[in-house]
Amino acid sequence: MTHKQQILAAARGGKLDKLPFGARIDVWYNYHSAHGTLPDKYQGWSQTDILRDQGAGAQARFFAVTREEYRDMEVVETNDPPYITTEYHTPFGNVAKKELFDSSEGPWIRYEMEKLFKSEKDYPVLKYVMEHTEPADNFEAFNKLREEVGEDGMVMTAAGGLWSPVQRVMREIIGYEQFFYELADRPARVEELIEAVKDLERRKLQVGIECDLEIFNICANWSDDIQTPVFRRYFVPWFQEVSEFLHSYGRLVMAHTDGEMRRLNPLFRETGIDIAEAITPAPQTLVSMREFREQLGDEVTIWGGIPSILFEPMYNDDDFDNYIKNMFREMAPGYRFIVGMGDNLPFDGDINRVGRVVELIDKYGRLPIEV
Amino acid sequence: MADFSLIAQALDQGDRDKTVALTEAALGSGANPQEIIAQGLQAGMAAVGEKFSSGEYFLPDMLMAARAMKAALEVLAPALEQTGIPTIGKVVIGTVEGDMHDIGKNVVATFLSGNGFEVFDLGLNVPAQKFIDEVKEKKADILGMSALLTTTMPVMGRVIKGLEEAGLRSSVKVVVGGAPVTQDYANYIGADGYAHDGGRAVPVCRELIGK
Repeated sequence: MTHKQQILAAARGGKLDKLPFGARIDVWYNYHSAHGTLPDKYQGWSQTDILRDQGAGAQARFFAVTREEYRDMEVVETNDPPYITTEYHTPFGNVAKKELFDSSEGPWIRYEMEKLFKSEKDYPVLKYVMEHTEPADNFEAFNKLREEVGEDGMVMTAAGGLWSPVQRVMREIIGYEQFFYELADRPARVEELIEAVKDLERRKLQVGIECDLEIFNICANWSDDIQTPVFRRYFVPWFQEVSEFLHSYGRLVMAHTDGEMRRLNPLFRETGIDIAEAITPAPQTLVSMREFREQLGDEVTIWGGIPSILFEPMYNDDDFDNYIKNMFREMAPGYRFIVGMGDNLPFDGDINRVGRVVELIDKYGRLPIEV
Repeated sequence: MADFSLIAQALDQGDRDKTVALTEAALGSGANPQEIIAQGLQAGMAAVGEKFSSGEYFLPDMLMAARAMKAALEVLAPALEQTGIPTIGKVVIGTVEGDMHDIGKNVVATFLSGNGFEVFDLGLNVPAQKFIDEVKEKKADILGMSALLTTTMPVMGRVIKGLEEAGLRSSVKVVVGGAPVTQDYANYIGADGYAHDGGRAVPVCRELIGK
């Protein structure tokens, strides 16, 4: 079986003869490419080729299979590297955001330095922006990357954006702290905005479902900071709705859950999501892999298990090997488990440890794992 | 006589209006503003911190309490003009250079402030030299650094080295935190303390300066 077939089979509950491995190295790769410090052997190589050389399956990233188009408003984007300012001019008024984008340090997402939401008067403008944003397909760019990766791994992507609707309002549009103040002071306005974003995401899903990707990422960067009571009330029903929709088309549903999950794990099983990806255990969080398996249950596929910090020089080769072997024992018998990073190879991590994981899987990761 | 426990309770509930009203009433009844802070506001914040650490409360509970605390302190500010708000230590805090994440750092800053520390928040993407300069200028007892990325974690170690080279290391305690940071990593770079979450930051800082 190819790496892609192994990953998909594990996610569908198939019985494999050894653990699949989908590795993510974009932070390491972006950093060293930008600084000209890739190892000599890998100068000029692509991420996928490096992973092929290490023997690991690739976990490539693509933002979304849809893009946004706008009607009945003027959207002006000004690119002044590393800053991007976007202004939305609507009949109800204007809003603007300022983002920073610079992948040379590793991460490839934009950071909002200035949020769209500034004050209560922005709610009708934001609602208008959401209602007059139309998704269009972005399949060509996605397919190009998918062809490059081929059968050697998966390209992880979403129908819409990185965030689920409530998270988008919380983190991208209003801002984390202000979101909770607004939710306390003006819950109806916040909920109205959430509904407008949900409606846009539903339209993106209708476009995105026409793309034949197997796994849809529907939410990213879970952590205790998205707070359990809010998660239960606002996130869970949305995930249930989206999972039901995607399952009806035979697609798998994934969430990028790389944060502190101890209080969110019990709720994960209510969401209908199939894959908890980028699972990051202790010592980087407070949850062990055994606890993750117990709390998420046997129906959820766990993808991850190696905290980024394990690739750092502070952990020697013996520490690394012992961690991996212990992780296999904790995950026995090992089904519905895809070995991966939580969530990336750090810039000063040792790329050859990716290959070492492959060797350890060959030696100790035969299924079923017997303790 | 004012019942400071009611102020603590209102703050614990994150009820800004009630906390302000009770603070105004206590002040109007002649209560000492320093006692209102210590026995009402800071007692309430301590309870919130404990509940967060035990898992009963979540980050937004802390934020709501901190907002109530800030509003109450504004009520007390004129009465404290002569003496100033009592502090138990000075903290310089920021997210390290190259890192644009500030949720955790903001929560820690807010909570330290609410628990009697004087906090100088340098924001995010803070250059190493800026940390060092501010520690020197503010005569900080504690330097708090946050990093959410594995790419930016090593900057914390470079700042600690910079403090050593500037002859400041012995005069300041360094506390680090952020999603990828662990106790092992804190030890590895020579930090004095590590806080897994905002609730832990306060007791860690108190312990480090013996307060």
